[in-house]
Amino acid sequence: MTNKRPIEIFMPPNVLKAKMGNGKLGLSAVKRAEQAIDDLRGEFTGWVMHDVDRLVEAGQAYVKQSNEETLADLYRAAHDLKGQAATFDFPLIARVASSLCMLTDDTSYGLPLPLKLIESHIDAIKVIVRDNLKDPSDQTAAELAAELETQVAGFLKKHAAA
Amino acid sequence: MSYNFDRLRVLVADDNLHIRTLVSAVLHAFGVTTVLEAASGEEAWRILGENRCDLIFVDWVMDGMSGLEFSEKVRTAPDSPNPFVPIVMITGHTSPERVHAARDAGVNEFLAKPVSSKSIMARVISVIENPRPFVRTKAYFGPCRRRRRVEHHGPERRVEDNVVKPGKKSANAA
Repeated sequence: MTNKRPIEIFMPPNVLKAKMGNGKLGLSAVKRAEQAIDDLRGEFTGWVMHDVDRLVEAGQAYVKQSNEETLADLYRAAHDLKGQAATFDFPLIARVASSLCMLTDDTSYGLPLPLKLIESHIDAIKVIVRDNLKDPSDQTAAELAAELETQVAGFLKKHAAA
Repeated sequence: MSYNFDRLRVLVADDNLHIRTLVSAVLHAFGVTTVLEAASGEEAWRILGENRCDLIFVDWVMDGMSGLEFSEKVRTAPDSPNPFVPIVMITGHTSPERVHAARDAGVNEFLAKPVSSKSIMARVISVIENPRPFVRTKAYFGPCRRRRRVEHHGPERRVEDNVVKPGKKSANAA
């Protein structure tokens, strides 16, 4: 059976290649890029703290008034932190934020979501940034993150089965 | 011989100042002299209308016009200044459903968070060296969504008569 859908396939001009020429990324450019990130590294903790403050505010707002709007703000803050924290050398915060994203990504369970569990995630993130824990293998923080992930998985499983 | 980055104009759209700063710093370090920054999809659209951009990095999640909506608009809006510009989506979303949604919006490449100099470099090189053909159907316009060349054993839905070779115009073109 053939499906006669009209389709057009074409190759637009490769403007990038035309401008950049044939070549490769020079080693000096790679080193400069890594140096550029190193130069910014001193700012990373401050940047992460800014995002953590936003998450704390969103968490407080949700605990105070649980509705779809405050949940969306909380999810957004957790989602941003998940991406940003790992970029800025705080992989453990990214891990905990990722767990919080899993918990807050779906409103089909009805509201409010377990407030204590949300607060525990936020408290864990506050401790990680306070103690400047950047090593993902830090035993206490890793165990705490694993426990939060387990609790979220349990909650989701329970409600998915319901 | 090394790439010559200094003629490129790159637009970086992300509502997070810190990620914008990081991506811009890496691009400058590569040698890009013109990096235009936007804090929203709306601002990115305005900048795109006022400047010839060669490459766009756009965050998925932004207040107002999201990166997904922005990408769709770039590809399909009648007044789009450059429907063919390569778009790299910066995202923390890596689930297959989300990736498919972004592909459907016309995104060329993904830059998954965490962002690093190596990952930015890899995406830039990919859009330069592995350009994808564009596809126009009734429902889609953008880079070909078939990521890899794979052996295809099913029915051929891309009817030969309707496929336009480069430089020719299709009788069925939308």
